[in-house]
Amino acid sequence: MTFVKLMKGALAGAVALSFAGVAQADDFPSRGIEFVAGYGPGGGHDTMLRAMAKIIQNNELSSVPINVVNKPGGSSAVALGYLNSHKGDGHFLMSATSSFLTTPLTSNIGLDYTNFTPIARLGIDPELLVVNASGSYKTLDDIAKADKVLNVGGSGTGSIENIVTIKLAEALGKKLNYIPFQGDGEVTAALLSNQIDFAITNTGPVGDFIKTGRFSALAISTEKRVDLFPDVPTFIEQGYNINLSLFRGVVAAGDIGDEEKAYLLKMVKDMSETKEWQENYIQPNSVVPDFLGPDEFAEYLKGMNDVYKTSLTNLGIIK
Amino acid sequence: MLDTLASLSGGFETVLTFHNIVLIFLAGIIGTVIGALPGLGPSAGIALMLPLTFGMPHASGLCLLTGVYMGTMYGGRITSILINTPGDAPAIITALEGYPMMRQGKGGLALGISAISSFVGGFFGLAVLVFFAPIVAEYAIFLGPPEYFMLMLVGLSTIVLLAGDDVFKALIVTCFGFLVSTFGSDYISGHIRFAFVPELIEGIDFVAIIIGLYGLGEVFYNLERKIVLNLGKPNFRFSDYIPGKEDLKQASGPTVRGSVLGTFIGILPGAGATIATFLAYALERKLSKNPENFGKGAIAGLASPEASNNAAVPGSLIPLITLGIPGSGGTAIMLGALIMFGLQPGPLLMIQSGDVVWAMIAGLILANFFLLASNVLLIPLFVNMLRLVQKHLPSIVVGLCIVGAFSLNYGTFNIWIALIFGVIGYLMRKNDYPTGPFILAVVLAPLAENYFRQSIMLAQGSWSIFINRPVSLTLVVFMVLVVCASIISKQLLRRRRVGTE
Repeated sequence: MTFVKLMKGALAGAVALSFAGVAQADDFPSRGIEFVAGYGPGGGHDTMLRAMAKIIQNNELSSVPINVVNKPGGSSAVALGYLNSHKGDGHFLMSATSSFLTTPLTSNIGLDYTNFTPIARLGIDPELLVVNASGSYKTLDDIAKADKVLNVGGSGTGSIENIVTIKLAEALGKKLNYIPFQGDGEVTAALLSNQIDFAITNTGPVGDFIKTGRFSALAISTEKRVDLFPDVPTFIEQGYNINLSLFRGVVAAGDIGDEEKAYLLKMVKDMSETKEWQENYIQPNSVVPDFLGPDEFAEYLKGMNDVYKTSLTNLGIIK
Repeated sequence: MLDTLASLSGGFETVLTFHNIVLIFLAGIIGTVIGALPGLGPSAGIALMLPLTFGMPHASGLCLLTGVYMGTMYGGRITSILINTPGDAPAIITALEGYPMMRQGKGGLALGISAISSFVGGFFGLAVLVFFAPIVAEYAIFLGPPEYFMLMLVGLSTIVLLAGDDVFKALIVTCFGFLVSTFGSDYISGHIRFAFVPELIEGIDFVAIIIGLYGLGEVFYNLERKIVLNLGKPNFRFSDYIPGKEDLKQASGPTVRGSVLGTFIGILPGAGATIATFLAYALERKLSKNPENFGKGAIAGLASPEASNNAAVPGSLIPLITLGIPGSGGTAIMLGALIMFGLQPGPLLMIQSGDVVWAMIAGLILANFFLLASNVLLIPLFVNMLRLVQKHLPSIVVGLCIVGAFSLNYGTFNIWIALIFGVIGYLMRKNDYPTGPFILAVVLAPLAENYFRQSIMLAQGSWSIFINRPVSLTLVVFMVLVVCASIISKQLLRRRRVGTE
């Protein structure tokens, strides 16, 4: 039974691929729009695009059907290559997160963010500085005054958590020892058992621990406080100029027409203003909604790319 | 204790849907057939089923995999007993006593007793899993990178100790596994290793490796020597399966001992079902009052290994679920599956995804009941299925492998990877290089590497972290003792051998 389903999926994929090669008509959209996820089914990219597709279709925000297509592999390098092969065709919309910038920077795929057309940033995932509530650090001040080199847990080297730690070390004027862990679960475990002094992590994995009082969050990396954690002060209000978050957005292929761009933007913007989007995606995923249109998103991407480039060069990852 | 039972009943709630019950039943049947087919064992079974779980809810997918895993332990014994051809490694011992019983006209009894022993073994292992896993998980959270690094070393060192005849070959494939595991991005340094094409940025897909190694590799190997199972027409009456009072009495002690032994051997990293059966058999032979009956159809020698290989399955799931450490080739593949499902194996698995884990355990309990019933009542069905499947086995397996490899990334890249590892698997089989150490190294090496680097980073450059922490120190001492013991015992053996010559 499942085998049949699998074969059907494979066939549908093949059909979709053969359609993709058909020459464009003048009216946009002339056929279904393809949402390209750079990671497999069930991953963050896939979940976001499927939620979007469902809401767009339920509210009839698009005149054509939408198909979510997974192009996993190479930390979205495969999807980047795929989207680039459809240059000038507006029937493709790809999810973009940090890997959209870091994969081109760290590997030699001959593409970067300027090869694509930014459409919109939908929201951000803020970073929290979290300590074990039973530990001796109760405020950012305690951390600043600690008389030893503190161990900081976060995800992989070169990740946004790593960069926030570097910025914090600069702002504090003190050395911090960053230890990369694989995935949020390991960071949480390390903090629970006091293997590390504090963690820099996005909000999802620690939210429950903060609510139950086992962890406390000392700072958040956004410009202003967020509704999710109204009691957590920002780094900025405590005098440390750190405003860095992960972003979740969508981009289209390069060199697409203005009409196509406007259509995609309107579709995505209308979608982001629905109640369903708030309830079914933003809230369950602890995303902070923060919409940016094409021009502002392009500007933002440029700034983030510079941050990544400088940090990754300093870390010795890019030569 | 009450919490455990509450969680377990929650698991049953998830599992007891029509869809899941049918799935678990089918998983048991598929596993039994795969186990019975010579050449396809537990690892191949899980590898072939893995791609089918992609679209499923996590709990159903895991139930399918563990059901197949358990099923192979039941299946291996069928061909062992009927035609003296073990379906997989853990059933080798079964043939020693089962086939003589068959020749004495007691084949039905052998099948019946081994099914019951398998059930008891599986049940005991599951009971230990149910009550032990939450306790281990509770303490596992206090382990940090140094302890995990030591556990990985224990796992890797047992590979060498339990390598079989040729330690050197096991070492070679272990090193090869290390090499394969280094491909792709390294999150500790942020660098990307050996990414000759973009598809390799995330490393070589583990599932593609095992599909190639165990699926395609076995097919290539079996093409050379066509085995045709001459199954005959076994004709048993239902009453043949029911052991008499005297038989049960003979089987009960060995079954209990096999269950206990199998569970604990299963827990040890590196050891697995096959080793459990050898040890269980040796133990029974030592304990027996009439060891001369062994090899001639001794019930004790049949019951104990059968109980132990089934008990080893839930046993090996304990370190997998609680610590994220696979104890065998089969569980290494299960680990890959957990990661693929987006579940983070490790001490937080029971806390963060407890519902899925408990559903899987509930599914295994259900599978064990189904398997007992089907392995007593459906023997003729299995025999017919084997006859049917073995004619087309290569085509079926190749088909499953290609579709499976394709579905990993919806592209042809992983088909090539599977093909390459198919050829490697063929060469390894042909030249007697064990695949188990290779798979364990592929899974354990990156973990060991990363835990080691994290430990040194945590200690801010000092090596003392490995001996300053009590658990880590205990593991170091344990490892030194194991190595010393094995060297000394080998020396003694050599001296004794020299003495007798």
